[in-house]
Amino acid sequence: MADSDYEYMEDASDDDYIGDKVSSSTRAHSGAAGGKKRAQEKPRKLQAWETSRSVQKITESIVQEVEDGTRHMSIREKEEERKRKRLRKDTKPFQRGIIRHVVLVLDLSEAMLEKDMRPNRYITMIKYTQEYVREFFEQNPISQMSVLGMHDGLCIRVSELSGNPADHIAAIQGLRFPRDPEDIPKEPKGSPSLQNALELARATLYHTPSHGTREVIIVFGSLLSLDPGDIHQTIKACVRDRIRVSVIGMSARLKICSEIVTKTNAGDESEYVVATDQELLRELLLATTTPPVVRTPQATAIPAESTAALMMMGFPSRVVEDIPTLCACHGILTTGGYTCSRCSAKVCSLPITCPSCQLTLLLSTHLARSYHHLFPLRNWAEVSWKRAREKGSRECIGCLTVFPEIPDEDGESGGNNGRELNGVDRMQADGDDSEEQKASESSRYECRVCESHFCIDCDMFCHMVLHNCPGCLSRLNPASEAQSSRDVEMTG
Amino acid sequence: MNAIDGTDRQIKTEEVPPPSLLAIVLDTNPHAWAHLSSTLPLSSAVSALLVFINAHLASGNANAIAVIASHTHRAAFLYPTPSSQTSKSNANGDVETNGGEKGNAALENPNKYRPFAIVEQEILNNLNSLLTETHELHLTSTPTTLVGGALSLALSYIAKSTLLASPVDTLVSENPLSALADSETMHAQRVPLTSRILIVSVSGDLANQYIPVMNSIFAAQRKRIPIDILKLAGDTVLLQQASDATGGVYVKPERPEGLLQYLMMAFLPDVTARRSLVMPSAGGVDFRAACFCHRKVVDIGYVCSVCLSIFCSPNLPDNLCLTCSSYLSLRSAQTATPALIPRKKKKKKRHGADSATPGGSTPVGSSTPLHG
Amino acid sequence: MSASSSQALEYLELLPRQTHTKLYEQPSTVLAIFRCMLPHLAKSIVMAMLYMTGPFPSGDLDAWFKPDGKKDKEKALSVLEQLHIILGKQDSQRHISYELYKGFAHSLRQALTGGGTHRSFGVPSSQLDSNKVSVTFLDEYARKQWENILFYMVGSTVGLTGSNMVGQDIGEGTKALLRAGDFVKVAHGRVSITRTGFTFVLQETNAQVWSLLIVYLKHAPQLGMSETDVLSFLFMLGSLELGQDYTTSTLSPTQLQMLEDLSAFGIVYRASKTSQTFYPTRLAVTLTSDSGALSSDSLSSSLAPSSRSTPKGFIIIETNYRLYAYTSSLLQIAVLSLFTKLTTRFPNLVSGKLTKESITRAVKLGISSSQILSYLTSHAHPQMQKNQPFLPPTVMDQIRLWEYEGERVETTNGFLMKEFATESEYRDLVSYAESLGVLVWRNDAKRLMFVDRIEQISLYLGKRKNRGD
Repeated sequence: MADSDYEYMEDASDDDYIGDKVSSSTRAHSGAAGGKKRAQEKPRKLQAWETSRSVQKITESIVQEVEDGTRHMSIREKEEERKRKRLRKDTKPFQRGIIRHVVLVLDLSEAMLEKDMRPNRYITMIKYTQEYVREFFEQNPISQMSVLGMHDGLCIRVSELSGNPADHIAAIQGLRFPRDPEDIPKEPKGSPSLQNALELARATLYHTPSHGTREVIIVFGSLLSLDPGDIHQTIKACVRDRIRVSVIGMSARLKICSEIVTKTNAGDESEYVVATDQELLRELLLATTTPPVVRTPQATAIPAESTAALMMMGFPSRVVEDIPTLCACHGILTTGGYTCSRCSAKVCSLPITCPSCQLTLLLSTHLARSYHHLFPLRNWAEVSWKRAREKGSRECIGCLTVFPEIPDEDGESGGNNGRELNGVDRMQADGDDSEEQKASESSRYECRVCESHFCIDCDMFCHMVLHNCPGCLSRLNPASEAQSSRDVEMTG
Repeated sequence: MNAIDGTDRQIKTEEVPPPSLLAIVLDTNPHAWAHLSSTLPLSSAVSALLVFINAHLASGNANAIAVIASHTHRAAFLYPTPSSQTSKSNANGDVETNGGEKGNAALENPNKYRPFAIVEQEILNNLNSLLTETHELHLTSTPTTLVGGALSLALSYIAKSTLLASPVDTLVSENPLSALADSETMHAQRVPLTSRILIVSVSGDLANQYIPVMNSIFAAQRKRIPIDILKLAGDTVLLQQASDATGGVYVKPERPEGLLQYLMMAFLPDVTARRSLVMPSAGGVDFRAACFCHRKVVDIGYVCSVCLSIFCSPNLPDNLCLTCSSYLSLRSAQTATPALIPRKKKKKKRHGADSATPGGSTPVGSSTPLHG
Repeated sequence: MSASSSQALEYLELLPRQTHTKLYEQPSTVLAIFRCMLPHLAKSIVMAMLYMTGPFPSGDLDAWFKPDGKKDKEKALSVLEQLHIILGKQDSQRHISYELYKGFAHSLRQALTGGGTHRSFGVPSSQLDSNKVSVTFLDEYARKQWENILFYMVGSTVGLTGSNMVGQDIGEGTKALLRAGDFVKVAHGRVSITRTGFTFVLQETNAQVWSLLIVYLKHAPQLGMSETDVLSFLFMLGSLELGQDYTTSTLSPTQLQMLEDLSAFGIVYRASKTSQTFYPTRLAVTLTSDSGALSSDSLSSSLAPSSRSTPKGFIIIETNYRLYAYTSSLLQIAVLSLFTKLTTRFPNLVSGKLTKESITRAVKLGISSSQILSYLTSHAHPQMQKNQPFLPPTVMDQIRLWEYEGERVETTNGFLMKEFATESEYRDLVSYAESLGVLVWRNDAKRLMFVDRIEQISLYLGKRKNRGD
């Protein structure tokens, strides 16, 4: 359903995580305050020894422009612009792979003993991946994960493919502190083998149903891969099996990694990222918790019909018992849990696949957790002074914070023709969601459906945490409900 | 005794509990209150609520309150008063000027603590104007109430207040994924404002707002804001789930007349006090889902893999999802789980196919017994 | 419950039951006590019981608390019993149940609902005041009056007595009160500050006000005023609105007399002594609240004047013990000079150094290291406040070390309990004392324990005996 145009957009936005900051910021500047920016850039082109008079002239003009309190404004705008840049740029409802099958491959080779992250890469990675697993299942409750490790030339299985975060976290922890005191902790050793890892991941993912995604996420600290055979054959096999590989590197970029990523992601290299420090590593890991966009079938060369399916799922109720009974999942005595809707076996926690009848058991809340990926809140538009005057908005609908006063009309039309023009531009470009997010000159942001105005903080909160528009939901009939039939269908 | 170490450097022991913000969502659905009027009319419920609000304000010096009405046709702030509303009501005249005078009289009442008087007056005025604005048309159009909107308003108000109470470190906000990860980072930071939401609900079915309410619940969960539910009438699974997921209190009084005692006992303790109290909660929560096609509550449902819509039967018209219209193959639905046999087959195949892998060399090894 | 109101709580706890009963007749007093004096959990307990129809059985109360909340529960109950707010009753089956004292419950209900005709929240003046004063004026007035008092105390020690800038024009009554409270002593016509005086000066303003008022309260009977009257008037002042004028016509003679004294402190403002109205200042309205608004950063919470005039903190300390204070206030410089070796003074800045001599001198004067540290912390510059903790740890440790050099023994007044009959009795009492937070020292082998407060313990012992017999 998503055509390739949007796909490209999405990829570009992912690009941002790598640190493509420079280009994106210039893009942002070229919009609202474009004229001013260009004026500032001009002197830079002049060589220093060239006439100082012209520079002076230009600075004068800037000073004049800024004089009437707009300097203060522009600082505020900068701040808001910075905030807004973090908003998701892809509010077009993409089809996303909500049901994910992910193999997380950890590098356990000796390169992980490097101390550029504190205390070393290995411990940092272990720490962050535990956090990551938790967040992953928060975001993707009906997904499955398996953890592998590249250790001393081999690829070892750390945890089986399952949907229970606790298992994975325990297994990852077990690498350093084995539960069985007899075992020796797995210290990083030898060289990694990407080929072995991919082969094992491919085998793990082979039997997964076709309606889910198959992803491999590799945390890779080494600068080499010691493979037993031709890795290119393995890559081809991965492509055939619709496996998408993302790599999070820790040292330099590697040609082989970028090749793996490009080939398995339909020519898109943005899934290969390199963490330069531990904060970035954490961010990059967490970035992969957002479900990936589903590509058009041609790219993956898989018949369209098999990509979507109707899945049978059970929604069990919680039971509280007075006498402890055995649970079907661990075989231990518990006094409460959930009974499978089909076979009435008792399980301890959800989501889980019923151990006796293989029915997927979950809570409706788990499904609901993914809805905001599917029906994202559309980005709000910047509001020009003109528009603000039209609406006469004085405070944020969400938090009742008072907006800055709307300036008088005469003063406005006199000095700020450029701004007015920009306002018109923006209104025209309204339909385009993927437009760069800019700061609004009036500190107001407008929901395109209900035409309510919000402040920057509510804008951020609603788009990043709440995923609701308080304005639309506070009315029975948001102004133009016809705009997105999908939303209405969902809410109505 | 004279040991000097870093542990007691913090001279100020924070004995003062952090200020607490209580956002009350009052369900003012006229249909439901009409049913309740014999046992608990809206007016007495509101007065009980006002006493409760005063008790909350008295419980901490910096405690704050926000009241939001979830009405049939709109959700609106009752307190604090939106400025646009005051201007509007001032503009349209006489009713409000009367109210204003009344307000002044009440404010100068020497029998009342002034902050209480101000809050009460504003809530009553706003509630009045909300009720007078309601026309029959609004009432006939829907029997339910906009809890989703009211919750969203409450959450964004709380989010802003929290932000104002402690401006987040720029370093943290720089992090583009802070919102994603803040379930982890939040508790590391000092939380200077504890908030909670109380929903006084009287309406029954809220299924039409399933997604907005669910989104609000997850937002609350992530921000660690408990949602308390006081269910005076009706029954909704959704709100039970809300209190369960966020660790809030769920009370459905058997005798709604005793509203005030329920409020004081179960809902007044704030997050700080709850740490040492046993709070009532909904025991067995019904987690069954409602299907999207007939709003039937189902035990076993069929879920579209693309949009996660739940259907009660696998026989969809043309095998198209009713929500996202993607073609759903039933075949794969039936064969979704038993995938074990094809995997074995594949393994055999692969052994032959990529002989370059170390596994492929095993047949050679098998010939070694010849030596023996 | 902040540091400031805990002093008031201590004072209140010691009052006899009759006084409490009388105090609780005024809803404003009850509300103020509820808001400011009670521990957090005690508030929850009181509110839960307020609209309860019958008594609250202790079994139910225990069930309401989580096992690990037991300690807090004991503490809350003991304060409530001490203040005569709840009453533990034993019925024939030896089941203990609690209920609120009637008077308290009645007044608190009235305060919450705004019922009754007690007029205890102040009667605003009905006629318009032609020369109504602004809030800024009130703040300025309160600040001036209060700083005068502080300056009077500090000035002499620092050697600024000669300067006739401020500080000498405080009333005789106030001077007498300061002497009575043992904040200053007069020897050979010279005023010098005492140990308690230093404690007083280094406190936050809100706490200072309470300390002074408690002295005032203690001496009220000598001036022919009833303690309850004074107290309830103070609590009423705390619930008034800043910038509003209130009529004096409804006040009792005692309260009118107080009004005069309080205006000398800067707690209320009257245009003249015969004026029919009075204005509470910020000092008054913050009596029963740390702050009015939500923005209660623990530091800005003292909305009181001195921290107002210099917005928030002004002191910077470097790890090399150098101290810079952005202030031009003589008072603050005087206070700083108590424990700092000041070297340079600029129009808006003084700089100096914390040295061993300066700290030991201060300690000799009776200032403790924790007082110095809390003063420095609460006045730390916003730049310093970005650190955690605000002050450099080296400096904090060193100041303490300097103090400890002089004193190796710490004394605590209290009671030694010994000769327990059985081990179980000893254990029981130790755990009770521990939960109250009064246990200072214990020796399990010899069955000895030392507590710093005995009232609750003896009550408990009595109860225990009853139960046991």
